[in-house]
Amino acid sequence: MKREYVTFVRRLSDLSEGKRALFIKDLTPGPRKYDTKLVRAELSRDAARLPDGDTLWIRSETGRLQPQPWSMKVLEELPPYVPGQPWQDVFTSLRHLG
Amino acid sequence: MAFSDLREFITMLEKSGDLVRIKKEVDWDMEVGAISRRVFEQAGPALLFEKIKDYPPGYAILNGPVATWRRVALALGLPPNSSVRQIYAAYEERRDKKIKPVVVKAAPCQENVMTGSEVDIYRLPAPMVHDGDGGRYVGTWDIVITKDPETGWINWGMYRFMTHTQNLLTGWPQATSQLAMMMKSRYLPLNRPMPIAIVAGCESLCHMVATDPFKPGENEVEYAGGLRGAPVDLVQCKTQDLMVPAHAEIVMEGEVLPDKIAHEGPFGEYPGYRSGTMSEGVLVQLTAITHRTNPILTLSTLGVPPDDSSIAASLTAAIAMKRGLQRRGVPVREVYVPPEGVTHLIVVSVERGGSRVARQVLDFFTARRVMVSKVIVVDKDLDPFDMNQVIHAFATKCHPAKGITVEHYEGRANALTPCFSADERRRLKGASVVFDATWPEDWEEESIPVKSSFETTYRDAVKEKVLANWESYGLGGKS
Repeated sequence: MKREYVTFVRRLSDLSEGKRALFIKDLTPGPRKYDTKLVRAELSRDAARLPDGDTLWIRSETGRLQPQPWSMKVLEELPPYVPGQPWQDVFTSLRHLG
Repeated sequence: MAFSDLREFITMLEKSGDLVRIKKEVDWDMEVGAISRRVFEQAGPALLFEKIKDYPPGYAILNGPVATWRRVALALGLPPNSSVRQIYAAYEERRDKKIKPVVVKAAPCQENVMTGSEVDIYRLPAPMVHDGDGGRYVGTWDIVITKDPETGWINWGMYRFMTHTQNLLTGWPQATSQLAMMMKSRYLPLNRPMPIAIVAGCESLCHMVATDPFKPGENEVEYAGGLRGAPVDLVQCKTQDLMVPAHAEIVMEGEVLPDKIAHEGPFGEYPGYRSGTMSEGVLVQLTAITHRTNPILTLSTLGVPPDDSSIAASLTAAIAMKRGLQRRGVPVREVYVPPEGVTHLIVVSVERGGSRVARQVLDFFTARRVMVSKVIVVDKDLDPFDMNQVIHAFATKCHPAKGITVEHYEGRANALTPCFSADERRRLKGASVVFDATWPEDWEEESIPVKSSFETTYRDAVKEKVLANWESYGLGGKS
């Protein structure tokens, strides 16, 4: 069964298809809903291209929800943080992870 | 009389009709937030949610402990119908008093302890406050305690913290905050983690003190004692070298990591918007969670005013600003922070006005970190707490060209000010403006327009006669 996740981006246009590292929040109902993971995943706008993928909802930095979810296949779970000093931009560090 | 803990305050609020217990089960996932927000927008009571979905009976969430002036008055031990000016006066009178805390060995806040692998933030009913927030906020109406390892200064502040994983929190103290200053100057140069305690559910004056911008180096816990008229009981944390209020409901102990970061935000913040500050905060490794049996998590469902921030923080900010202006030699009489202005709009009443004084006021507000974007300076002939009078003075006395002064800055702006662009917020770039609604100091008295009001236009004999005969005119009781 497909699971649902949400991720946040600075701008909706920032997100591109393909393989990348991103923080995702698990939307499975229950007391651990919104638990965060850092994963390397393959993303696609088209669910048909990732038939065994999960659903990924996308929100902008003001929390606006993109109406159509993407599809995501988790390739690898990473420790739930990235290198960096407090107050540094997390997305810059994420880009370095590739 | 000081309240010994939050529970005593809750009991009193219930007796005074300022709190409602909600016994029906509610979902921590936005239902608590939606109810709380609607009640805030109706200036309604504090809410104690007593049955939270997914959580054991007895676990509770309290929204809005001091989100009305009535509840602030009650927290201060004043009559609930005290005027805002009376509440300001009481706070100002007590604000300089210090009472040292008392250290106790055993504490209610440590009745239940999770350490090591047992630490699990999801055992607490942290709410998903607003739809679209970055996660579940366990710290909205909290006290965040950190310590300067060189001077021993213990800082209390109020900053937002969000669940990340079961033993990690992310948070967003602003990059210009005292917590940030301490981390950047004392811990980051040594690549050391900074001990931190995030405390929820204290007696309300302790939380209010955490919103008060005391100068760096001042131990807020002593001022909390002064405000309460009784010392705050403190207990040693289980895993960190920090002292926390013994009667708190929940204590989250941990370390701000110097070399790791993670996603944080966004969050519907105190200016009334989710303005986009995200993923530029701190990561906290939890080392322990302690709590009272049947813990009560304090919550402020921030948004458009009124809420705890716009009410209580406007009080603490106003008195701190008044003191700061006095120290700078500004002939200030009163400062009012209207809750509707969410600490972005300030009214400063002065003994004598003019452009020079207005400039002094602007210089004060923009000297260091800038949290205020608009200041209206008014003459002493009006009541700064009466926004009808303030708007009238602004509309009529502020010269549209000569009465407005703007100061631009970078690196110290309020990253939550919604009118700043996303790029400006990221660069902490902004501007503040002073509106001089006072008469120019070089105008001769005979040329100053005369205000046409009952108080200012008529001779005393006429006013006395009118007031004496008011009822006989058929206009009701004396007004």
